[in-house]
Amino acid sequence: MDSHLTSDRVDMDDNETTTKFIVNGREYSLKIDNRYTLLDILRDHLRLTGAKKGCDLGECGACTVLLDGKVVNSCQILAARIKDKDIRTVEGLSQNETLHPLQLAFIENDGGQCGYCTPGFIMAAYPLFESEEELSTEEIKLSLAGNLCRCNAYGSIIDSVAYALEIKTNE
Amino acid sequence: MKGFTFKEPSELEQASDFLRDGSGGYILAGGTDLVTEMKQGIIEPHLLVSTSQIKEMCNIEWNQSGVKIGSMVTLSDIANSESMKIKLKSLVQATGSIATPQIRNIATLGGNLCQRPRCWYYRNSRFDCLKKGGAKCFAVGGSDKYHAILGGHSCYIVHPSDSGTALVALNAKVEIYRKSQRIIIPIVDFFTGPEIDVTRENILEPGDILISIHIPNESMAGSSVFLKAKERKSMDFAIVSVASMVKIENEIISQVGLAVGGVAPVPWKLNTLESKLVGMKKEDVDIESLCSGVFNDAKVMGQNGYKLHLAQTYLERALNLVLANSN
Amino acid sequence: MSEQSTHTPAVGTSYIRTDLEGKVLGTAEYTADIALPNMLHARVLRSPHPHANILGIEIGSATKLDGVFDVLTPFNVPEGKVAPDVPILDSRVRFVGDEVAVVAAVDIDQAKAAIDLIEVCYEVLPFSTNVHDSLNSASFPIHSEGNLVNGGPLIESRGSIKEGFDQADYVVEDSFTTPDHHPASLEPRAALASWDGTRLTVWKPSRGIHADKNILASALGLSPNNIAVVGPAMGAGYGSKDETRTSVMAALLSIRTGRPVKLELDREEEFLAGRRRHSTYTEIKMGLKKDGTITAVHAKTIMDTGAYLSSGPGVVRRAGQGILYLYKCANVKYEGQLVYTNTPTAGSYRALGAPQGHFALESLSDKASEILNMDPLEFRFKNHVGPEGQPGERTTPRNQIIDTQPVEGGVPFSSNELRQCLKLGAEAIGWDRRDYIENAAGPIRRGIGMSMFIYRGGPGGQSNAEISLDQDGLFTLNVGFMDVGEGSSTVVIQMAADTLGIPPAMVRINGGHTDKTPESPMTAGSTLTFSAGHAAMQAAKDLKDAIINASLKLIGLGDSEGLYLTPNGVKSKCGESISFLDIVHNAGPIKTLASVTPGSKDYIVNSFGAHFAEIEVDTETGHIEIIKYIAVHDSGRIINPRLAEGQVRGGVSQMMGFTFLEDMEIDPHSGVALNASFLEHKSPTIMEYPEIEVIFADSIDPIGPFGAKSLGEPPCIAPAPTIANALYHATGVRINDLPLTPDSVLLAMKNLL
Repeated sequence: MDSHLTSDRVDMDDNETTTKFIVNGREYSLKIDNRYTLLDILRDHLRLTGAKKGCDLGECGACTVLLDGKVVNSCQILAARIKDKDIRTVEGLSQNETLHPLQLAFIENDGGQCGYCTPGFIMAAYPLFESEEELSTEEIKLSLAGNLCRCNAYGSIIDSVAYALEIKTNE
Repeated sequence: MKGFTFKEPSELEQASDFLRDGSGGYILAGGTDLVTEMKQGIIEPHLLVSTSQIKEMCNIEWNQSGVKIGSMVTLSDIANSESMKIKLKSLVQATGSIATPQIRNIATLGGNLCQRPRCWYYRNSRFDCLKKGGAKCFAVGGSDKYHAILGGHSCYIVHPSDSGTALVALNAKVEIYRKSQRIIIPIVDFFTGPEIDVTRENILEPGDILISIHIPNESMAGSSVFLKAKERKSMDFAIVSVASMVKIENEIISQVGLAVGGVAPVPWKLNTLESKLVGMKKEDVDIESLCSGVFNDAKVMGQNGYKLHLAQTYLERALNLVLANSN
Repeated sequence: MSEQSTHTPAVGTSYIRTDLEGKVLGTAEYTADIALPNMLHARVLRSPHPHANILGIEIGSATKLDGVFDVLTPFNVPEGKVAPDVPILDSRVRFVGDEVAVVAAVDIDQAKAAIDLIEVCYEVLPFSTNVHDSLNSASFPIHSEGNLVNGGPLIESRGSIKEGFDQADYVVEDSFTTPDHHPASLEPRAALASWDGTRLTVWKPSRGIHADKNILASALGLSPNNIAVVGPAMGAGYGSKDETRTSVMAALLSIRTGRPVKLELDREEEFLAGRRRHSTYTEIKMGLKKDGTITAVHAKTIMDTGAYLSSGPGVVRRAGQGILYLYKCANVKYEGQLVYTNTPTAGSYRALGAPQGHFALESLSDKASEILNMDPLEFRFKNHVGPEGQPGERTTPRNQIIDTQPVEGGVPFSSNELRQCLKLGAEAIGWDRRDYIENAAGPIRRGIGMSMFIYRGGPGGQSNAEISLDQDGLFTLNVGFMDVGEGSSTVVIQMAADTLGIPPAMVRINGGHTDKTPESPMTAGSTLTFSAGHAAMQAAKDLKDAIINASLKLIGLGDSEGLYLTPNGVKSKCGESISFLDIVHNAGPIKTLASVTPGSKDYIVNSFGAHFAEIEVDTETGHIEIIKYIAVHDSGRIINPRLAEGQVRGGVSQMMGFTFLEDMEIDPHSGVALNASFLEHKSPTIMEYPEIEVIFADSIDPIGPFGAKSLGEPPCIAPAPTIANALYHATGVRINDLPLTPDSVLLAMKNLL
């Protein structure tokens, strides 16, 4: 456990929250400084570093996770707001070494170059994969419009998601 | 960020009580603007009061007079609402165009109306600007590309709310909880310009809570459209936006609402043009000639002159669209 | 038919990127993801002034704060240098955001609280935020030698431009500006340093871990043997993440506190203290004969290098490359001035000065074609530099390797398929229909434009590679370069595997640790595939020979002829065989090290290409839509088509920022960067992404490894002039200043720019 969250400083009960929440199917309970965001909790406390701190202001999507099934920037969710929430991160996608179809699709279609945006894109695409609708390229792009890729691998990312949706249809 | 206490009451009165002394408590709605301001050191709340457990703020209620949208309803819930897609197209277009899917999933309608400006001097803690209680507006004689061409006074921000622009054109009202009472005012009176009080953008006082937004049936009976000009196709705030609403009865324009965003410190209602249009026969409307001169009072700064042309174009296009869609 | 021929070559196939699995799992470890026990967190105090002397710093209250372990100031750090003009910390600050002091504390909140308690006494100095002010004789020098680097321009020329212009029937000239946009890699700079009493280990995103190690050694006065630099997964840099003040500060704090120290820059700091692209102002002139021949080209460029020099000299030189070499011309001159300003430092960003130089050159070429009443494509066909190179006399001695960015004439290219690129692109876009485009009534106008480019790339400095047959019967390639996301690791594996004659899946790559890899150059200037490729090929060839020799003795054969490698081991044409495992168990693991300085004494190795675009312009809103984009590249043999296509699509899309959206906005009165955020410095989103068709010319370079030439940076050069030329064709309005934001385009349409 990273030392900076169990600090040996003056007790700040008023400025802390005790909260129960679920991440990737596992339940956690934490007493935590109100200033921390879900991103900080995932990365520093739970050591799930797939979600990245690209800007910490909700302007890049690199920290995208699912919160009760909805795509959100985890850097914008304060600790006190995760009570009883069901959170899913990229680390929770693969089952016992079997990659999720989205992950397979990104590998097959070279959906990542430096890879820093990749977990965020995969999580942003996840609801598309779960939905029953057939989606056009334009609709795929609109769903991913909150995620920046600075390598600009957008073409391969769109191909990857389209491919994953096709795998799903063919199953 | 300084440390802060977090409260999550389930009653309006409690929430209001926590904030009434004005000592530095803030309402936490979606948090997408508030948390950013905290991280950038623009504000340092010692207390956040979450309104997510106050039920009436979280619902959409369709009733006899129209629709009541709780201020805690998320932008994506509005943008995805099937009924609103039919009856409140401009509001759906506006909310659906805001920011990103991630932000729309947690940002609220109330939060969008109450968000602070994006002026890059305001948002930078290195500048002690007029709006923050300092002595000058740095956009004047500075980098003013995104600043106001109308309604600027001592401060030249543009109001960032797309939903505000759409709701002004829909003649919406807002319901506010103040000192244990509820008041309902036209949304156009909710927003305030710098000539009233440069340090804020609406009439809310400490302890006030924006409960809901009301849209009357009359505004939903016609057609409406929201157009937004941006530099990028996602994430960006409007450089100019236009919301229009028109109702035609027996070929006559019986209702009209027109508002321009991205040009002034408040969503800019085009009262004069609206009064010209009301009562006109639809076929008599010559958009170009009616719209000419609408922005004669605009005062262009150093780099924002393009807004004049853009506003003109988008106004004409919005009117064209909304008249074409009204049958 | 021998079994040898059943090896399926990996070169030329889309072998899957080696490190992709970790990235999709979220387990790939980047610098900020690493945590060490007892780790401290550092935070930097940055200058609020664009130019100031620090007269004193009071850190007493900060050091006394609970949980604060150390504070560095310009007055308590050793005198080492991170770069010739960058001490570890300096009592002179030169831009808003320049480092003043650094705190190490138990957590980031305490570090920030300590920063707030530091009191600094500044003597504010006059400052300049633009090159014109800096060059003014009354301006205050930002560095002791003055604001014009080297006191004068870099001048490169061939022939005599006076003669060239004298011969001209027409002279066309114009001036152009390009913005100082930011690479804004998604991963901000970070460093984790750990000092154990005798040895320093530093983890940092890096494009040259050995170079970084040497800088740390010299800055801190340590022996390089006592330093290990580890390059974790890297969230890209696009050329510019070699800034080591970050790692030096972290290292120093670790040495002084005895604890590991992590310094992570936040997004605003990455914009301020990272490296932006040099903005430019270029005046360019071309002399033309009536028949369309170019008789002279003369360009003067002023580049804003910001507060420090960084790689400025390389960039200003690169900005002249197109001007001096793209068109066949005996008389050319390029003058490049590099000027300091009190703004964030400019450095290397993908393709360096070439996009800036080509924007001016290729825009002017279209203007030239118009004066000549010539189709712009015809103009290029007539004048592009051919395989034989430039007219003139070779000046490099015959026994010396030719510079890949030459000025001299008389040297041919190793390969030059520029003409083919022009043909393929013209066909793909339908250039023939350009004169017949019909516009519907209304404000939308359609147009087609093109531009071409030349880029050095290929041979870099000396490169080393080590390859081994290991205990487990598999192979490991050790190279000191970093795959910064462009796929170099994958490509080099393919080359090594083919050289050995085994499947690429049997080759692992070890990059990223200075203890375990041989010295290597930086991943820079698109030289990587070339230099590292050659080194890996040589090492692989040497290893193959060594393995065969070892097998000879073990199998008991007389000569090596007829022995070859297979996935299972070594086989002889007579049918005898020995497995890799058996070889290793008997002879031990076998390792070879190769050191090469690739290059040619006879040819210039350059990459070429041409881009074509069809666009639609809304003349009432200033918005531009890309209908079709064709990118044609001559980069020799394409080692991995999918990765190569990714580089081209990525580079073109990235430069849509340069072309349409991005520009760092510096407030002229305060020197503050107003848009140091992803919201305000507008990098393209997925919604901006155009459909890009990528075509690779048929080309095998005789010098390149497996015939390959550079590809990482070339895609970035042509987008801007291609679009500007298409805009002119669509609307009759030429805009010479980037970016082509909607407001600029709109005002230009209304003749108000």
